[in-house]
Amino acid sequence: MANAKPLATLRSATGIPTGRLAVWWVLASEVVIFGGLLGTYIMHRLGHPEWAEAASHTQTWIGAINTFVLLTSSFTAVLAHQAAEKGNGKEAAKLLGFTILGALTFLVIKSFEWANEISHGYTITANTFWSFYYTAAGLHALHVIAGAIIMGVVAVDAYRGRELHRVELIGIYWHFVDVVWIFLFPLLYIAK
Amino acid sequence: MSGNNEHNEHHDDGHGGGHHVNYFAIYVALVVLFLISVAGPEVGRITGLPWITLITAFGIALVKANLVIDNFMHLKWEKRLMKWLLTTSVLLMVLMVAGISPDVLNHEGNNWENLAAKEATARGLGGDDHGDGDHAEEGGAAEVAEAAPAGFSAAGSFGTVCATCHGAGGQGDGPAGMALDPKPANFTDPAFWEGRDRARIVTVIRDGAAVVGGSALMAPWGALYTPEQLEEMADYVMSLRPN
Repeated sequence: MANAKPLATLRSATGIPTGRLAVWWVLASEVVIFGGLLGTYIMHRLGHPEWAEAASHTQTWIGAINTFVLLTSSFTAVLAHQAAEKGNGKEAAKLLGFTILGALTFLVIKSFEWANEISHGYTITANTFWSFYYTAAGLHALHVIAGAIIMGVVAVDAYRGRELHRVELIGIYWHFVDVVWIFLFPLLYIAK
Repeated sequence: MSGNNEHNEHHDDGHGGGHHVNYFAIYVALVVLFLISVAGPEVGRITGLPWITLITAFGIALVKANLVIDNFMHLKWEKRLMKWLLTTSVLLMVLMVAGISPDVLNHEGNNWENLAAKEATARGLGGDDHGDGDHAEEGGAAEVAEAAPAGFSAAGSFGTVCATCHGAGGQGDGPAGMALDPKPANFTDPAFWEGRDRARIVTVIRDGAAVVGGSALMAPWGALYTPEQLEEMADYVMSLRPN
């Protein structure tokens, strides 16, 4: 297994480990994806004063709890990275487990939030505000799901002391998911 | 086995373990900033200074994002190349947003107006004073006002939305219809009504003509109107039918 590693993982022309370079590349494209979506939302929001009414129905406290959950999960993710740096795979795996728990908590809270909103008639087709709301938060939630799955895979490896550098890589991705929510929270919940 | 390999790889990268960040302190700072951003709207309400909310919402978001990116993602210690790559990405995004913003933020220009957006705003703001003043100096002001929810009228909506292409009299001679191919339907032409009934008119107004095999240039308008209003619009179109 170890001998069959692709050459690209063992050398680097940029001086940045290939895996980390790849994660940053992914995030650079994610910046355009989320940036384009949020930028379009902001432009529409400014051009449509009537959206203030629709926006007043988002549930600030639920958004706030989820913000806290993601901030905390980012903290455990960076502690996992710290543990991996010290070569402590078991500790890293445990901390990644806490991060996954945070991801699941976020998704459970979000599903209750959405169920409540949909039952009140605020569906994705209700008006353009709600279309943006579900599209932006939904795209973010897909990233949360993907992150949780990848963290699971990385945690299993880390527990066995393998591929510890990946703990940092998934961490960088996870912090980005946190950063996106840091902007979504004021856009969808605070600035009414 | 592979463990040793990874270990070396990690410490060769020039930044592993070299920096001592107090992660807990960063986390506490993030939570405190988060609490301020939640309290922002309340503070704005009490002090009567709504701009405080903007600062606590977006200013703090920027500070928080910066803390996470610098200290948790370690961009602070990353090679300069990486910062340029990400900056390029952000600049491209800003360029895109800036490029299209005049068309999205405004609802009219020298040679165009966004009727759907104007109608949505007029309906959304309710019958009160129609919020933004741009309607006032506009030619179609009367129709837009009529289309507001307080006073929806099929004739008014036809005049604002449909007449652009179909013409004020429904003869398919609206200003925006001139260049279209196929031509917009002429509701006063008996030939048009062959094989068309009221149900089909409702469907086409709501879902666009493409769904019944017609021109995709006839856009769907269902999002703008309630089912009852769609029925009224269809009645109005039916009233143009020659007998």
